[in-house]
Amino acid sequence: MTAPRSPSDTPIVSVRDLSMIFPTPGGQTVALQDANLQIMPGEFISLIGPSGCGKTTLLRLMADLIQPTGGELLVNGGTPRKARENRAYGYVFQAPALMEWRNVLNNVKLPLDVMNTPKAQRDSRAREMLKLVGLEKFERSYPWQLSGGMQQRVSIARALAFDPAMLFMDEPFGALDEITRENLNLELLRLWRETGKTVVFVTHSISEAVFLSTRVVVMTARPGKIEGIVDIGLPHPRSDDSREDPRFFEYATQIRELLKKGHS
Amino acid sequence: MTQKNVQAAALPLRSGFGLPLLLIAALGLLGLSVLLAGQTAPAVAWPWLVGVVALLLVGAVGIRQSAQGETPLARILPAAATLILAILAAEAVLRAYAVPTGLIPTPSKVAQSLWAARNVLLLDAYYTFVLEALLGFVVGTLAGLGLALLAVRFRMLERGVLPYAALLSSVPIVALAPVIIKAAGLGWPSKTIIVAITVLFPVVINAVRGLQSAQPMHLDLMHSYAASPAQTFREVRWPSALPFIFTALRVSSTLALINAIVAEFFGTEGHGLGFRIQIEVGRFGLDIVWAAIVVASVIGISFYLLISALERYVLRRN
Amino acid sequence: MTTAPTPTTLPRAARRPSNLFPMLGVALAALVLYWPLMLWANSGQAARSLASGADLGCKTALACATQLRNPVIPAPGQFASGFTSLSVPPLAPTSAPYNALVTGGETLLGLALASVLGLVLATLLVRSRSFERATLPWLVASQTVPIVALAPMLAVLLGQYGVQGFLPKAIIAAYIAFFPIAIGMAQGLRSPDPLQLDLMRTYRASPAQVFGLLQVPASLPYLFTSLKVAATAALVGSIVAEISTISFSGLGKMLAENSRASDTVALWVIMIYGAALGIVLVALIGGLERLVTRWRPPA
Repeated sequence: MTAPRSPSDTPIVSVRDLSMIFPTPGGQTVALQDANLQIMPGEFISLIGPSGCGKTTLLRLMADLIQPTGGELLVNGGTPRKARENRAYGYVFQAPALMEWRNVLNNVKLPLDVMNTPKAQRDSRAREMLKLVGLEKFERSYPWQLSGGMQQRVSIARALAFDPAMLFMDEPFGALDEITRENLNLELLRLWRETGKTVVFVTHSISEAVFLSTRVVVMTARPGKIEGIVDIGLPHPRSDDSREDPRFFEYATQIRELLKKGHS
Repeated sequence: MTQKNVQAAALPLRSGFGLPLLLIAALGLLGLSVLLAGQTAPAVAWPWLVGVVALLLVGAVGIRQSAQGETPLARILPAAATLILAILAAEAVLRAYAVPTGLIPTPSKVAQSLWAARNVLLLDAYYTFVLEALLGFVVGTLAGLGLALLAVRFRMLERGVLPYAALLSSVPIVALAPVIIKAAGLGWPSKTIIVAITVLFPVVINAVRGLQSAQPMHLDLMHSYAASPAQTFREVRWPSALPFIFTALRVSSTLALINAIVAEFFGTEGHGLGFRIQIEVGRFGLDIVWAAIVVASVIGISFYLLISALERYVLRRN
Repeated sequence: MTTAPTPTTLPRAARRPSNLFPMLGVALAALVLYWPLMLWANSGQAARSLASGADLGCKTALACATQLRNPVIPAPGQFASGFTSLSVPPLAPTSAPYNALVTGGETLLGLALASVLGLVLATLLVRSRSFERATLPWLVASQTVPIVALAPMLAVLLGQYGVQGFLPKAIIAAYIAFFPIAIGMAQGLRSPDPLQLDLMRTYRASPAQVFGLLQVPASLPYLFTSLKVAATAALVGSIVAEISTISFSGLGKMLAENSRASDTVALWVIMIYGAALGIVLVALIGGLERLVTRWRPPA
């Protein structure tokens, strides 16, 4: 069940005329041009588009990993920097980026160590998160002993460990095979329902975006901009059957059309 | 946060100030040295030391300024300035404290001795580098490549010999040197043999690793073409081994000279940079010792750069 | 290829055929070659001694090859007696095991010193680009410079300022090991993935936390790789330092004494001890590496 929403809710992320221009040897690259987007608390938003459309750039801007060259961006009611300093979001990267010298439990504990969470709570909190992603039996394993999918699950548990309000995910399942990916999609939806977090999810897979999201933001390249936003009206909780729903194909077609429109 | 502040503080001074500051520091240190050269050692040395430290601080700021940016000058100038300032500062401090040449010679004294003893040192360098290090390097490399080819051809040999090679590469050369010099005589060939042995092990180990580093997919591809073993070797195994072999050669190039010098500590017929260093240390002729080290360093760096250039050339062609 | 079924629980390394038998074969071949080689190497000297009328208690050069007082390659009996006289009792000041321990101790102390200094320098190199640009070229160049040539001089210098005994050798060992360690550590401190650095940034980690939780652990494998390279060099350094100072113990002292006395059997025995010491030192560091970096997959 999604968190109840009303029009009076203030957006948790507010993007207004946001631009990002990178200097390049041959001049400038417009990675993002005049983007506008409001994300409500509890939403699952996907950013989709071809490479170079600025979807990762937009996510990194929200996370204060880079700073915009123009426009306005509010995250969690303040600047992205303040949101980062308040540890308002957990970030999941394309690669698991686990610390290979920490075992699974200690990897999940990493943010708690950095944030000086009371020592007594760290272990129990990390174990709870591992249970959430179904890896409680592997807490003593080291990253190299896990499959790619398991490693990415650890990194999701790590992102949730300090209970941030938002989860930013940058193509987290891009390197995995289709079967693993669909399993993890189901698991992610369950996590989202159980925790009620706001998720911003970057992907280049149309079916993944439709299956997961409440709304899909379609972006196009050169210059990177938002081409359109598609509301996904599929009922929750979703299951593998949702993929068979005729509306699933309608939404996928709609997104594909938008992507093509930007391409021509 | 703090780093940002430091950068901001350095900003107004940023561009253009590096070179003048460096010139001030260098000329100041040079001036101190010249002043000190004109008199006998000063009664109180510490004001001179304070002067040197102050000028070095100016130089450090200059180096910091000139290291900003990505221009070629910003890459080269800081390193060059560091060396020059270090030499000048050493000159001034050693003079101010009147440190005897038998303990630490001033850089200028080393330069003088280098020039005065150039013929002796060049002959020493010929023995140490050409006859011992270079010849030993070539012999060791060829023997190592031959052994590696045999080891790859005959798996049994690889499994029997390679562990020993890995083991023996951690044997200190000084333990080897006296015995070999006793066996092969005091002349230069004994040192050549020592160098060849020390070059042999890294070359064997790396060449075997390199020859086996060929990608299975490439080998399968050659197999699917029904290529002969010689073709497979030429097209796949050898090119993939080259980077490994050159890594070993680069490491060995410096080891060869160093080991030739160390081996000379254990007996020569009166030639070589190691011999020179050893006897001059014994009679406190440290200016000559430093001169010999300068010669050895220049040769060592040149040889290393030469091998690196050869590596780049060969690897680009492949 | 045999395809004997192996239990899947075995680690991968254990399934490879052992090197033991080929290694034993090579050792055996070396033993077989040793006898004729020894006779050949020594017979020349034996023939000269006989020709000069010396009474060696034997008739032919070949028979005398195993009896020489200072053979080029010692015969098995000479090896055995040389080993006993230099190794029993093992902790006497004149015996090789004791002196090997002294030299090994100096080298290890030097390596520890070098690691601390190397970490400091590596941190500076990684933290400040100006510092890196000013010094890195010279650090790299210093690797190609025969630093060990400075050892005799450094030993004399340290003696002048009253640094004596155990310490000057350790300092020289540290001095030689320091540069490869510093460069290896700098490489290691830079090795974390950009994503891992981004991750720490999303946690608002302090620079000290990034250093302690990410950069230092990531650099440990690099530290041990350079320690293994540096160990042999540091050992050479401490032996050369022992030779060039007035030393009362250490393999270097034994080498110098026996080199002067032309006792070749003793030189051979000391060489074997020195070789063993080098191998043991590298093995020690390897063991420590496995202990410290237990997280890594077996090679």
